Amino acid sequence: MKRVQFGHSPVPYLFVAPQIIIIAIFFLWPAAQAVHQSFLLEDAFGMSSQFVWFRNFEDVLSSPSWLKSAGFTVVFSTLVAVLSIAISLFLAVRADEVIRGAKVYKTLLMWGYAVAPPVAGLLGIMLFNPLMGDLYILFNKMGLDFNHIQNGNDATFVVVLIAVWKQVSVNFIFFLSGLQGIPKSVTEAATLDCKSPERRFWTITFPLLAPTTFFLMVINLTYAFFETFGIIDVSTKGAPGGATATLVYKVYVDGFLGADMGGSSAQSVLLMIMVSVLTVFQFRFIERKVHY
Amino acid sequence: MATLNLKQVEKTYANGYKAIHGINLEISDGEFAVLVGPSGCGKSTLLRMIAGLETISDGEISIGDRVVNTVAPADRDIAMVFQNYALYPHMSNYANMAYGLKNRGYNKDEIDRRVREAGTILQLTELLDRKPRQLSGGQRQRVAMGRAIVREPKAFLFDEPLSNLDAKLRVDMRLEIKNLQQRLGTTSVYVTHDQVEAMTLADRLIVMNGGVAEQIGSPIDIYNTPATRFVAGFIGSPSMNFLDGRVSNDRSHVVLTDGTRLALDHNVAENRDVVVGVRPEHLSITTPTESSIAAKVRITESLGAETLVYLTFGSKNEAITLRMQGTHTYAAGDELTLYSNPSQIHLFDQASGRRI
Repeated sequence: MKRVQFGHSPVPYLFVAPQIIIIAIFFLWPAAQAVHQSFLLEDAFGMSSQFVWFRNFEDVLSSPSWLKSAGFTVVFSTLVAVLSIAISLFLAVRADEVIRGAKVYKTLLMWGYAVAPPVAGLLGIMLFNPLMGDLYILFNKMGLDFNHIQNGNDATFVVVLIAVWKQVSVNFIFFLSGLQGIPKSVTEAATLDCKSPERRFWTITFPLLAPTTFFLMVINLTYAFFETFGIIDVSTKGAPGGATATLVYKVYVDGFLGADMGGSSAQSVLLMIMVSVLTVFQFRFIERKVHY
Repeated sequence: MATLNLKQVEKTYANGYKAIHGINLEISDGEFAVLVGPSGCGKSTLLRMIAGLETISDGEISIGDRVVNTVAPADRDIAMVFQNYALYPHMSNYANMAYGLKNRGYNKDEIDRRVREAGTILQLTELLDRKPRQLSGGQRQRVAMGRAIVREPKAFLFDEPLSNLDAKLRVDMRLEIKNLQQRLGTTSVYVTHDQVEAMTLADRLIVMNGGVAEQIGSPIDIYNTPATRFVAGFIGSPSMNFLDGRVSNDRSHVVLTDGTRLALDHNVAENRDVVVGVRPEHLSITTPTESSIAAKVRITESLGAETLVYLTFGSKNEAITLRMQGTHTYAAGDELTLYSNPSQIHLFDQASGRRI
């Protein structure tokens, strides 16, 4: 193989330096710290610590509350990713068909993107406030006996709803631009070849959007894993009884509120491994099938 | 295979813009009709209306004996070839061709037979398993044609299918399309802005301008007797020369702006203001006579087999183009005397542009 040789000028390094420094300071350094700390047992005041090998990991993996949180995270992430992708795809396809006032529809549908996750969480708890929340009152008037303060499933419903609502606008933008990237003549050729619009969607439009869908799946899972922290912290705080605590939220609760730095670090190392494996899996096995 | 009938077809867009102003056209079975005109003349719109990709505001389009105004595009039994190929990028070339048949419920063997046959005709056999992006532009357009052929439709619609190809390939594909159409005998409508394509492919040429069919006829008829000044200028390359003039009292001459008199044998009213049209290839250099034009050379273009000379004429600097066989060289400013046989002079009304 022929290698291109550039002169040994330091200038290129200067160009990449800011990015390298950011990654080093905000990712590599804390990650290394977390790995290191996950092998330590520290007293509650941080005065002394002891090297305990894998005991923190053993504790975490055998802890029912961690397993519960892991289970919730899987359910939550799947629901958030699948629902927000499905809903936004539907909205994007419909908005793409609109001719009159298309810009208004599209702008309105994108607005949610500007809302920060904690604000979305705040809007959520207001809607579900037992005294004055419109949705809370509506659901109970419908006889659903809705109570997210005490019922884990109802609380899950609330956080999923908020997280999905927040993410739909992001996905919508990507799907819309994906749809607009499909040449008009291809859609027209399909109109001549296939009469049924549903069939056209599943055989032409959807496969052409597959790379976008794959990208959004990766993004949405990451979102559900990590970025929903703000939503959960503002709305349910993991209640009732940890029923809506994602793994990330539990890392925070155990480490910063529970002062169990070792256990919390072990959790975040496990989380890192899980997400890495998931991402590798996505790219190795799914990405190949979606590109044309 | 079928006839194609357009009766007073009109298209008005939602914003009130009228793209097509009542076109009547009857394309007979197996005929190759070419719609030609400048951009924005409505030729593509008309084709898309036949395909069903645009609604028909008024009038009637029938394919065979069936009025198709409200029939879905997929049910009109036509196949279309697009300018940018419009292949499905995620499917193999085979699947691209098979798609339309599959959706119409043909069985696997029949689909396979038709696709392989089209593949053989279009020399695509080796490429059927590949995807469109692995092919060159010319090959992609062949796949697009294959997709049309396998359907065995009543009519082919071509929307500037050669515009994206380079010049050499365009000539080859033009011949291929002509061959194919003659071999299959399928009624075809072909849209182009390229008048060479139009002349060479058409059994019948429809010259469009501003949403109106200016002239419909065989390419040679249109070349020889253009119905309007627009058609005369559009068909033929380089364009016909136009000079303002006035018919003399005795109707034997037309007097140009600088007083030059050109002999006529037309039946035309005296003292009428006209536009004189002469094709560049119908001008020749002579010695000065009663009926000759004196013009100054501006630029000469040598193409080897022929030479194009651009000249200016008279006090108003009217442009004249001369097309000569062989190679000639003139310097800018040289004065040439040009002559045209009266039978090759076209006259158009100055106001309406109609042929006189």
